[in-house]
Amino acid sequence: MPKRAPFRPRRAPILSGTDKDPTTSTASDSKRNGLSAAISDMPIVVKLALFWLLFIVTAAIYARIDRVTGQALPLQDPFYQPFLFGEASPIEGPSAEHILGTDVLSRDNFSRLLHGAWVSLIVALTVVAFGIVFGGLIGAFVGYVRGRAEAVTMLGLDVVLAFPPLVLLLALVSIYKVRNLTLIALVFGVLGIPTYVRIARASTLAIASREFVQAAEAIGTKRAAILFREIIPNILPALFAYALINAGFVIVIEGTLSYLGLSVQIPEPTWGNMINEGRRDIRMTILPILWPGLFLTLTVVSLNLLGDWAQQRIAVRSSAL
Amino acid sequence: MGKILIVRLARLIATLFAVSLLTFLLVEQLPGDPVIALLGPEGLYDWDTVERIREELKLNDPTLVRYGRWVGDVLQGDLGKSYITDQPVADAIRDRVPVTLELALLATVIAAVCAVPIGAFSAYREGGRLDRLLSGFTTAALSIPGFVAAIFFIWLFTLKFNWFPSTGWNRITDKGLWANLKTAILPASALALAPLAVNARLIRADMIGTLKEDYVLSARAKGLKSRYILMRHALRPSALTAVTVFGLQLGGLIGGTVVIETIFALPGLGTRLISAIYQRDVLMIQGITLFVATVYVVVNTAVDLLYLALDPRIRRQ
Repeated sequence: MPKRAPFRPRRAPILSGTDKDPTTSTASDSKRNGLSAAISDMPIVVKLALFWLLFIVTAAIYARIDRVTGQALPLQDPFYQPFLFGEASPIEGPSAEHILGTDVLSRDNFSRLLHGAWVSLIVALTVVAFGIVFGGLIGAFVGYVRGRAEAVTMLGLDVVLAFPPLVLLLALVSIYKVRNLTLIALVFGVLGIPTYVRIARASTLAIASREFVQAAEAIGTKRAAILFREIIPNILPALFAYALINAGFVIVIEGTLSYLGLSVQIPEPTWGNMINEGRRDIRMTILPILWPGLFLTLTVVSLNLLGDWAQQRIAVRSSAL
Repeated sequence: MGKILIVRLARLIATLFAVSLLTFLLVEQLPGDPVIALLGPEGLYDWDTVERIREELKLNDPTLVRYGRWVGDVLQGDLGKSYITDQPVADAIRDRVPVTLELALLATVIAAVCAVPIGAFSAYREGGRLDRLLSGFTTAALSIPGFVAAIFFIWLFTLKFNWFPSTGWNRITDKGLWANLKTAILPASALALAPLAVNARLIRADMIGTLKEDYVLSARAKGLKSRYILMRHALRPSALTAVTVFGLQLGGLIGGTVVIETIFALPGLGTRLISAIYQRDVLMIQGITLFVATVYVVVNTAVDLLYLALDPRIRRQ
């Protein structure tokens, strides 16, 4: 197993004040004092990753607050309109007024980045939510009930997964003439479900053969109750860990599609279409490409690090289940 | 094993049928009319001609009839003609595949050549500073989106150093190998980053196991040099898995070149697909998508079968 600092004192049980024998700590135990213990257990890199992700989420929400309050906030370009030219100050380097510089159309890079973060965040969250809710339910159902429903579902999945992901998205997205955030998020969300179904089904197959499920069946628990009380809670950790990795993948694919001009349309800024627009002016300034590229990469690195870490923890836990 | 093979092949064919139907229905939904796209704006004023061409191309038949006809043609090896350029789809694919294939091949070679030393050294120094440094590198390489890397390469190697051209393609047959490689190396490198990271991690994991074997210990006890042990004793058994994986990544890469080709304006399958989508060139989209999906499905089935052959434990499940 991965090298988790072996001689770090186990702070968690002390903090929670329970006098339970630490050797019998269970899933519910770690849930009670889970978050603080989990975070203090993290290697420093993973902590940094978590910090970056929190920053992105905050930034994305911050970028949209003025839509509600109607007022620009500090650090946001007061003249910023996603679809208008900025104040006449094209291609500036970082300054107090524009902390990451401006692009060829005098637009503030930082404000555009924040708005782009919102697009990436919404698309990633939609995919994860659709995947865990629909994918998790379908996967757990067909994995537990088996039979014909399973065969048909898996064949359907094979068809959808037979396309290279980008090619199917290209064909599907180009059907629509107006592509706003809602539409893109929905298309991504629906197309994201199949992989979650696969993972949920695979975990269910493993869980359904465990003793506690057999015991529940033996005492005559209803199958629906077993599905919701025994199986789904136990496949959720695997789904969440996959969701972290998957969110990174989704953000890259959305960026790619944006770059091709087939995601949320300009003038609405996304990280991908910022890079596409910046590409045209690459000889004059690299900054409008550099920042979104950096943000994309850092976000995906963070999600991957956090996902890897979560998966390792789950491997430890499920071996103790 | 024989029974599994038949089941898998049947599923492969069923999947391809479903894929083609889905593609057909999707393309059907594309806005715009291929005939208008063909005639240009004048088509809007000349409905008689539009109707005549629609009849000629048999576009007025019901969807399923046209799908059936298309499948029949495809089974006889005829993918149809582009509505826009009148070029047979099969010719277009044959024209474009070499570029895409070369990119994918070159990317696989780059990924393999870089991944072997990275994987080997980080396995040798497991847990050490070098290992952590290299694993940081593979994480970054795995996470950086291909199109970001591609544009960064263009900025660095074309605009700053002017070593390579930023766009375009020289065919080997026209300009020779060197000119060809000069246009291919940047896109292939951008394409290679992700598989490189995956391979390096695979080799590392594999070699950590191999290095714990007794025969490595006895080689060390004999006083052989570490580098010799690493290359001769440890890498050899790990090479089989690695080579298998390299080969199989090729299929995935063929689908992954779409954006890279667009960025570097290369005359490959990906750019043809994108331009066909913009032009609503129905048969072209169908042909290319079917081709790419077929390669993808066949390779994935091959992976599954290979795993079955290599690891008997999966067979029993």
